[in-house]
Amino acid sequence: MKRVGRVLVAVVVIGAALAGCGEKKGGKIVIGMSQCNLGEPWRVQMNADIKAAAAKHPEIEMVWRDAQNKTTVQQDQVKELVNLGVDLIIISPKEARPLTKPVADAVDAGIPVIVLDRKVEGDKYTCFIGGDNVKIGEEAGKFMVKLLGGKGNIVELKGLMTSTPAVERHEGFMKGIKGSQIKIIFAADCHWLEPDAQKEMASALSRFPEPDAIDAVYAHNDPSAHGAYIAAKNEGKGREKKIKFIGIDALPHEGVRYVKEGLLTATFQYPTGGAEAIECALKILRGEKVPKNIILGTRVFTKENAAKGGQAL
Amino acid sequence: MAGLKRAIDLAGRFRGVLAFVVVFLLGVFFAPVSYKTGHSTFLNWSTQNDILFEYAEYGILAAGMTLVIIAAGIDLSVGSVLGFAATLFSLLLVGYGWSAAGAIAVTVAAAAAMGMINGFIIARFRMQPFVATLGMMLVARGAAKWISGGIKVQPGAEEWYVVQSGNPRVFDWMTSQTALLGLRPITIAFVVSIVILWVVLRFTRFGRHLYAIGGNEEAARLSGIRVGAVKVAAYTLCGLTAGLAGVCNAGRVTLGDPGEAGLTYELDAIAAVVIGGTSLMGGKGGMFFTFLGTLIIAYISKILSLQGIEEAPRLMIRGALIVIAVLIQQSRKE
Repeated sequence: MKRVGRVLVAVVVIGAALAGCGEKKGGKIVIGMSQCNLGEPWRVQMNADIKAAAAKHPEIEMVWRDAQNKTTVQQDQVKELVNLGVDLIIISPKEARPLTKPVADAVDAGIPVIVLDRKVEGDKYTCFIGGDNVKIGEEAGKFMVKLLGGKGNIVELKGLMTSTPAVERHEGFMKGIKGSQIKIIFAADCHWLEPDAQKEMASALSRFPEPDAIDAVYAHNDPSAHGAYIAAKNEGKGREKKIKFIGIDALPHEGVRYVKEGLLTATFQYPTGGAEAIECALKILRGEKVPKNIILGTRVFTKENAAKGGQAL
Repeated sequence: MAGLKRAIDLAGRFRGVLAFVVVFLLGVFFAPVSYKTGHSTFLNWSTQNDILFEYAEYGILAAGMTLVIIAAGIDLSVGSVLGFAATLFSLLLVGYGWSAAGAIAVTVAAAAAMGMINGFIIARFRMQPFVATLGMMLVARGAAKWISGGIKVQPGAEEWYVVQSGNPRVFDWMTSQTALLGLRPITIAFVVSIVILWVVLRFTRFGRHLYAIGGNEEAARLSGIRVGAVKVAAYTLCGLTAGLAGVCNAGRVTLGDPGEAGLTYELDAIAAVVIGGTSLMGGKGGMFFTFLGTLIIAYISKILSLQGIEEAPRLMIRGALIVIAVLIQQSRKE
């Protein structure tokens, strides 16, 4: 009997936990959002942007899914959203190929799909919204040229170079500094990670120990730029005050804060497209036409304009 | 009174079944209804079919793991071996343009060889399985990154790949619905693995020897069982199932991911075995229990997922459940 008692307790506890989460909905627009990984601050921001935009429309009911950085889980969750009978799906895919079919299946089932940030293959989706990393890199390059007066030695701390955004942020930057006398004297793949950037920057500092050997650092994301700043500070020669640090992403609690505190000289926003996705969703559900591909611009944040929300480029 | 006692005894023996029924009922009562049709999203064949499909890889791993655990061992390398197999399979298909049958055979054989190395080191040098397979876990992950050059193996990823665009046909086939109840080939691979290994464990001398070794290795040795050879065979089979699971993984994500395929899968496989009722101390348990254990984990995960419960409470609920399941198991000894 004791055993039966334990089973019952377990059932009641779990049942109660689950029952609290289930409620019926009716007469509303239900939008399913499949996020690939809520472990990254930028993606948390994307969800926050969607939430804020959806909150302005009381008829929208959001259903959230987090695939925890697992491709297979995200495939399953898209299927689940279709089974749940949502009116529209927004997805930020972890991986293009494996999610192409689930997205196509949803479209075939009559559910419009908005793809955010990373594309799926082919054209079986309703609308794609994303940023332009080449343009962002180019703007960062032009900014660097102006900042250094067209001449100087810099360190490039790259993102994971097997990922497209890092490759594009590099290519754009090279385009931006073309024709100037800016030289990249040290470059390293930091895999988007702050600890790696700190290590690589420390190596750069010991390879170039003269006080004015390094004029600036271009990092593919803000945590890497911040890591570079910390490395310079840890060196103990005060070089962190001389070297200019430039990052990308401009999340409110990350890059923008660093700029406001004067750690970074500038950061360039990589837009999440969250707000645009909700606007687009409403248009689609009203039967209006939307462009197949929407490419978003960027904003630069410096100490002067950060409080006002940056400046559009 | 005797009848009642027998009934409780019987219920005790079929604890796994009981737990499964309880979890299924949880699904029936607590899964959300569809916004469109108003029907439960849980009680339909398409969802059930999805569950079997989504947890097939874990189930295949758990089937091989059961053999090892019954012999009082453990294999921490299966997740990495899965990753290696997924990468190798994709590379043979996409990179070198092999036929599906050849690629599957070589992949599964390579994974079985990794298992055999585990078994050999454990048996020959009397090394603790935990340590030996921990080493293989790193080696296999490294091997996956080495053969692929660290990138995800998919059409067009490298210029020299034979296949530059489109999916290899076998990928599409593995996830397509067959005429048999709409079950997908990956699901069928799971069920067939369980059935074959159930027969091996239940009806062969090898199976009985595994139980004997898990129960008391020294006694098994003294009674003339070739303990070393049996262990090598068990780890080889475990590696083989990891290879099969890797093939399934590649088919499911349509590429070979050397970094993330199978990451931490070994823990889910061990959990499935333990929740089913096989003892980590060895000597007790069975393949049918593992089948139930896999389904229990699969159903719990699906219900939590259908409800859209966030990561934090989800981890806590899953953790609590594993402990509760083992608690119920131990109550039999009282």
